[in-house]
Amino acid sequence: MKIGITVLVCALALGSFLYTSSAHAEEPSGKKDATSSPVVHNYDADAMRVQGELRYRANCGRCHAAPRKFPPRMMATVLRHMRVRATITDEDMKLVLFYMTQ
Amino acid sequence: MLYSCTKAGPWRWQRAVLPGRAGLFLLLCFTAGLAAAQSSNEEKPVPILSGSAGYFNFVTAGQNQVDAQINPVLLVPLGERWLVESRMECEGAFQRPPDGGPYGGQVSKNLDYLQADYIANPYVTVTMGRFLTPFGIFNERLYPIWIRSLQQDPLILPLSAESSDGMMLRGGFPVDPKANLTYAVYASAVSTDHNNLESDRNAGGRISFFFPGPRVEVGASFQKLLQDTRTNAFGFHFAWFSTRLPLNVHSEYAQSNQGSGYWIDGAYRLSQLHFWQKAMRRTEFAARAEQFFSGSISADEAAALGLQAANTREGEFGLNYYLQDGIKAVASYGRQFSSAGNLNLWTVGIAYRFLIPLGRPQ
Repeated sequence: MKIGITVLVCALALGSFLYTSSAHAEEPSGKKDATSSPVVHNYDADAMRVQGELRYRANCGRCHAAPRKFPPRMMATVLRHMRVRATITDEDMKLVLFYMTQ
Repeated sequence: MLYSCTKAGPWRWQRAVLPGRAGLFLLLCFTAGLAAAQSSNEEKPVPILSGSAGYFNFVTAGQNQVDAQINPVLLVPLGERWLVESRMECEGAFQRPPDGGPYGGQVSKNLDYLQADYIANPYVTVTMGRFLTPFGIFNERLYPIWIRSLQQDPLILPLSAESSDGMMLRGGFPVDPKANLTYAVYASAVSTDHNNLESDRNAGGRISFFFPGPRVEVGASFQKLLQDTRTNAFGFHFAWFSTRLPLNVHSEYAQSNQGSGYWIDGAYRLSQLHFWQKAMRRTEFAARAEQFFSGSISADEAAALGLQAANTREGEFGLNYYLQDGIKAVASYGRQFSSAGNLNLWTVGIAYRFLIPLGRPQ
């Protein structure tokens, strides 16, 4: 019984958290950005490439040899997979994707 | 909860189970609502068939084992927030009988994971289905044969469940400009010893900090078994990828009633050597040291779990040669010291990683 109540409370807390954090990520136009970042930086293209390479080397090299670049739609899938598998942050994922698709 | 049903009757069972199920239902409602609100403004990711294939010869105490395996990974992105992913492990291990004769053995097929991931927001990803248990770093991140620097499994790998069936919340986000926090919490609801789908009822989590500057990761894991002996397991992990040398180091420690132990391995790319540079850039030297201490289970139980029956020390080193991106030839030698007997471990083979788009890749 205690476990059940604990699960219920945790689920409600998590649901509230998901809902409120998603509302904060909402854009003025009303669209929700699925990949909005908790730390927002404005980089120009060159700076994004530099940052992307840095994040690429720091994150990908933690586990395996640096892979070569693949076509953009493939890289988008691979990065989504790696975001889940290696718990890469949202900002790192976006910058690495930018670097790997240039 | 099922245990309390059998012990205390259906009313108590309902009182115990219903709040949990109601919570999960509410959670799914929230996530489904968020999914309906998504928009599409980026190029669509394409489904991918990836994975690894390998052929190895493992010579253990003079006994040769031919090992051929293919481990396909299917990635299917849906919309902007969903990913369905799966990995199967098909492995054939063949060896001669002790009295001679042709090679024989079995082909095993295991579903490592089949999960749906929902990226709820930058902080939380919800995973449902069968997933790799996030305990330490080897099982989730270093297990594929094209990634691991040495092909032998660490001695402590069986101390935690490899796959779990249930639900998981995970994510990673910066807590400071110099540090990222990553976490995973999960509950596995299914207990089965089916050959291809083994899992236990358990719950646990992992937390780690990654420091991008020095490229250091440290973390801890916990797991509570919710059946049988209801024992706890915990562990720590460490990873470092040098910014000055082509060197990475990984390490884990784990402890449960089944045993305890640690491993530490390093892989150094020989690209800094000034001779035979074309070949040296593709060559990696790897080494591992590990130790296992028996727990409070019998030798037969340990063998059934894939653990050593006695306290064991092991050292191993090897060379990996990257023929091209995704293909590497491997060779290694190890020496195992145990009260059950010392032995040599030789490995030679080749590992290949493939990546095939199931649609227009551009």
